[in-house]
Amino acid sequence: MKISGAYRLSLPQERAYALLQDPAMLAHCMPGAERLDKVGEDEYQMKLRMSIASISGNFDGRVRVADKNPHQSFRLVVEGTGKIGFVRGDGLLRIAAEDSGSNVTYEGDVQVGGTIAAVGQRLLDVTSKMMIKRFFDKFAEAAASA
Amino acid sequence: MGTTTAIRTKTYVGERIRRKEDPRLITGTATYVDDIQMPGMHHASIVRSPHAAARIKGIDAKRALETPGVVAVFTGADVKEVGPVPCGASLPGLRVPQHSILARDRVYFVGHPVAVVVATDRYVARDAVDLVEVDYEPLPAVADPERALEPGAPAVHPEWPDNVAFTYHQEGGDVNKAFAGAEVVVKQRITSQRLIPTAMETRGVVADWRAGDKALTLYSSTQIPHLLRTLVAMMLGLAENRLRVVAPEVGGGFGSKLNVYAEEALMGFVAMRIGKPVKWIESRRENFAATIHGRGHVDYFELAANKDGTILGLKLKLIQDLGAYHQLLTPAIPTLSVLMIPGVYRFQNVFCDIVGVFTNCVPTDAYRGAGRPEATHGIERMVDILADELKIDAAEIRRKNFVRPDEFPFATATGLSYDSGNYAAPLDKALEIVDYNRLLEEQQQARKEGRLVGVGISTYGEICAFGPSPATPAGGWESGSVNIDPTGKVTVATGASPHGQGEETTFAQIAADELGIDIDDVVVVHGDTAIVSYGIGTFGSRATAVGGTAVYFALQELKKKIGTFGAMLLDSGDVSYRAGRCICNKTGKSVSLSEIAAASYRAMKLPPNTEPGLVSTCFWEPPNFTFPFGAHIAVTEIDRETGAVSVKRYVAVDDCGKIINPLLVDGQVHGGVVQGLGQALFEQAVYDETGQLVTGELMDYAVPKATMVPWIESSHTETPSPVNPLGVKGVGEAGTIGASPAIVNSVVDALSHLGVQHLDMPLTPERVWRTLQQHGGQA
Amino acid sequence: MIPQSFDYSAPATLKEALAQVSSGAKPLAGGMSLVPIMKLRLAAPEQLVDLGRIPELNYIRKEGSELRIGAMTTHYQIESSPLVRADCALLGETAGRIGDVQVRNVGTIGGSVAHADPAADYPAALLALGASLKLVSTGGERVLAAAQFFLDTFTTALDPGELIAEVRVPVSSGAGTAYVKLAQPASGFALVGIAARLVRAGNRIGSAAIGVTGVGPKAYRASEVERLLAAGKPTREAALHITGGIDVNSDLHASAEYRRHLASVYAARAIELAWSRTE
Ligand SMILES: Cc1cc2nc3c(=O)[nH]c(=O)nc-3n(C[C@H](O)[C@H](O)[C@H](O)COP(=O)(O)OP(=O)(O)OC[C@H]3O[C@@H](n4cnc5c(N)ncnc54)[C@H](O)[C@@H]3O)c2cc1C
Repeated sequence: MKISGAYRLSLPQERAYALLQDPAMLAHCMPGAERLDKVGEDEYQMKLRMSIASISGNFDGRVRVADKNPHQSFRLVVEGTGKIGFVRGDGLLRIAAEDSGSNVTYEGDVQVGGTIAAVGQRLLDVTSKMMIKRFFDKFAEAAASA
Repeated sequence: MGTTTAIRTKTYVGERIRRKEDPRLITGTATYVDDIQMPGMHHASIVRSPHAAARIKGIDAKRALETPGVVAVFTGADVKEVGPVPCGASLPGLRVPQHSILARDRVYFVGHPVAVVVATDRYVARDAVDLVEVDYEPLPAVADPERALEPGAPAVHPEWPDNVAFTYHQEGGDVNKAFAGAEVVVKQRITSQRLIPTAMETRGVVADWRAGDKALTLYSSTQIPHLLRTLVAMMLGLAENRLRVVAPEVGGGFGSKLNVYAEEALMGFVAMRIGKPVKWIESRRENFAATIHGRGHVDYFELAANKDGTILGLKLKLIQDLGAYHQLLTPAIPTLSVLMIPGVYRFQNVFCDIVGVFTNCVPTDAYRGAGRPEATHGIERMVDILADELKIDAAEIRRKNFVRPDEFPFATATGLSYDSGNYAAPLDKALEIVDYNRLLEEQQQARKEGRLVGVGISTYGEICAFGPSPATPAGGWESGSVNIDPTGKVTVATGASPHGQGEETTFAQIAADELGIDIDDVVVVHGDTAIVSYGIGTFGSRATAVGGTAVYFALQELKKKIGTFGAMLLDSGDVSYRAGRCICNKTGKSVSLSEIAAASYRAMKLPPNTEPGLVSTCFWEPPNFTFPFGAHIAVTEIDRETGAVSVKRYVAVDDCGKIINPLLVDGQVHGGVVQGLGQALFEQAVYDETGQLVTGELMDYAVPKATMVPWIESSHTETPSPVNPLGVKGVGEAGTIGASPAIVNSVVDALSHLGVQHLDMPLTPERVWRTLQQHGGQA
Repeated sequence: MIPQSFDYSAPATLKEALAQVSSGAKPLAGGMSLVPIMKLRLAAPEQLVDLGRIPELNYIRKEGSELRIGAMTTHYQIESSPLVRADCALLGETAGRIGDVQVRNVGTIGGSVAHADPAADYPAALLALGASLKLVSTGGERVLAAAQFFLDTFTTALDPGELIAEVRVPVSSGAGTAYVKLAQPASGFALVGIAARLVRAGNRIGSAAIGVTGVGPKAYRASEVERLLAAGKPTREAALHITGGIDVNSDLHASAEYRRHLASVYAARAIELAWSRTE
């Protein structure tokens, strides 16, 4: 499934670029992230507990930051596997300065497998959008107080 | 012994007799596999691959095995001794992947069985499935058959990088000449999407191993208990007479249980290993992911004709999505499409190529119609496209090309001999029922008002009563036994194991009429290899035409013997048998069947060279297939704003030869039409590009519900088949075969004035709306 | 389809149920949404408290200018209630379009509202009607407008330990209402569902309330359409604004582009039908 969208942050571009790759921020803002441990350069192991309404599941996963083009763009790859299936998200984030803040646009692909793929079709699009929005909302909030 | 009493004049054949099976079915007192309970019975639950393609790097069942109640976990390594899941079809050069009952080092489709957990309790078994850790290394997968044929596509089986399982060619006549001389050629790519059979009862198996007897009993929801016995015995290395297969009540199959599945042998293996009975019941999700799918065609058609509408020849390139493995008949199904590609038409030039393609999907196999719906959909669409091109009426162009009544038996370009037919009869009747000319006027009027109304005709011909043994993979005969008790009650045993068709009723009708007795004095048994002679099964609309005929001949044999005993008891050389009594033609004295039966078993006196008892078995080998036909007409209207299709009228006139029970024939037609309509409008098994089955449940896979189905106006013509003495042909699949082209032709007809030539199924509102957009027809 | 094991209790009073919910038990109403999720193992609540044996949660009555409907009232009870038909036909019409008859016989309004499925039918009607919800917990009760209740996809303003006790719907006298829906053929859920409530002012629309479901991340009021209608814009024109500002859903059954189009068609149909029913 293709995803794309944009989000406005009231942070300068450089700072947005840095914070969006900051493991502490990622751990704090990724919906359901319980911990994030560095396992290599720009690579982290993650434990996630996703829960949307009644639906919940634990995922073990990895987060990787790649193709860094300082202050402008980087690729974020998130993979998670759990009993209810697996998720792989691969997105390119572009950060552009805009007025006093910055504009983040993202574009990528989400692949799911297992139960989520087999029975979640009706809700995949809405829920992934919601997760992304939650991430950015929380991020904006945390960045403002950081 | 008395003089003649009132002669029973009532006969059952041809009557709307209510089904004998229904009281138990609708009061919940039938026994399905899941109703079977046994002392000490264990439960199995299966670990299945969530990946379409992956290497298995390791399996750790430790945590599962530690769960209280779990007694065993078996993986591919444990079942090496068990033979492969069999493919019964043979084609020249066919590539047959090794199909182990549990994955070895790779998985090939989502739902591929990887391990089995056995526990004392069904809930524990299911819980423990989540505790089996399988370490997968995902691999690239391919789910689309045309994509699989592209160079560089992921190889489903690494040993065959081109993903081609076989190619098959069939031709008749001289197609090149036909096309060279044609005044018009029409071409179209037509798909017949993957469908999920969705039997109401999912699969299920209970295996019971009696170590003392070295005997295994397998209860399975199957259409083919005897073939299952032969093949599972081979897989498990058992002598066939050590395996008993019972098909209890079977809640629908539609072809999906005309198979031998990994789980059937697996449960036998488990029962033998743990020494306890074991039950496995498939969940709906497993049913969608791991039971065969149907259809899965991409067809490239070309039709050559003269301007007057005379069809000269047909070319077809057929791409069959096989899935990752061959199940029992997987590669054979598209060959049936090719066989029936001429449909009801006379043209004699045919040129077909099939490419069977491996994909990372569950295998396809026989699903109601099995190859013939695809063929009929193709030819009936092409005929409409031709009619549209030549501006000839859809009924007219068909009439022009029909095989004529005096041409039967008719030899087709594909090597078949159509037994009997009068193709114009059902078409004329259907046209009359819909009042065709008025309908066309109304359609014109509707168009003027800006409404989109379509009239779609399909005239189908199909091949049934599988079949002469040389032409069927496991023999095409059927067995029928008739057993008359000392009290004169009759038990009929048929090898054509039914799963909803109502053979307990129709075969009882045949027996009751032949013996002149009350239908309630006849019981029909089936589905147990311990009590029924070897049989082939119920599929391919064969049960009545082949199985019913076997019963009929067994009855003739018995009637001779009844006559012999009757003559002895009446002390007459001139007797006849009527209405349940043997009557002396001279004196009018008679004896009843029960008196004769009693005498035959008591055997105080026996006629010369005659054994005691009244039992007869017939194995009947049909000399040919039968070829039912019919005409369906659908009237549809499209919501211009949304693209939603509504079926305003549906008329089905089917000719299935002689009708034993019109009620059951209507039932088969209704069910069949609904499944065809499901394909035309709603159903589609969707795999995404990574091979995930995204219509994994009934909430995304749309089978038609009662409220979504139009009133079906069902009617018949009766052209007896000369192939069997009952004159019957078969009707189990007819509705499905006739329906999808009738509906699609109707919808395309509604849009044809906008320049629309074809639409692929399912005709979802969005698809129709997009077509309207492209052709400037939106509101 | 076998869920993980769970504890189950079925108290007879709301008080007992609240005590259990406050200590983390998951409420079970009709189970038409929760049980399938559990069977698919997408959820594994450890304790279920069945609200089905609590008479004080199942009623439809009129109080002042409101209909009050207990959370455990089934879709079928609402669909077939003469009181609902007389005083709030929109809610009855909406209930009658939910799933199939089996689902309507078991599913409840409280369960549907709490679940907040982005394609559920009731939310559209409740928003258009200006309904409110009575929420209760061991700590007391509060009443929240439906518009404040639905926060996001499957996300509501319910606090942990809180239950929906009652749905309150203003009696709609003098309005013309309609609920129209295109159901996805597999599940029955709305690809698009539009609830319209119009008050006539002479020969034109005086005020309009339009609730939309199935289209965005949650049900919403189409305020731009309402404004245009009240300003006298023709229905078809106004309806084109039905998805204004909404991130439209896309799934296997309908792309965002098609949904957007459907929404405007169905909005127009709902408005026309509601208009024909104004007095
Ligand atoms: C085949 C099928 C088709 C359907 N089609 C439609 C459709 O077309 N339109 C539609 O709108 N819906 C549809 N539904 C959903 C149906 O309407 C459900 O009944 C409804 O969404 C949930 O109600 P329930 O009473 O079954 O709640 P449950 O499934 O028991 O509970 C749902 C959720 O609400 C919580 N909950 C329940 N009651 C309360 C309460 N009083 N207070 C707080 N939390 C509570 C539960 O803990 C759970 O999280 C369909 C369902 C099925 C199975």
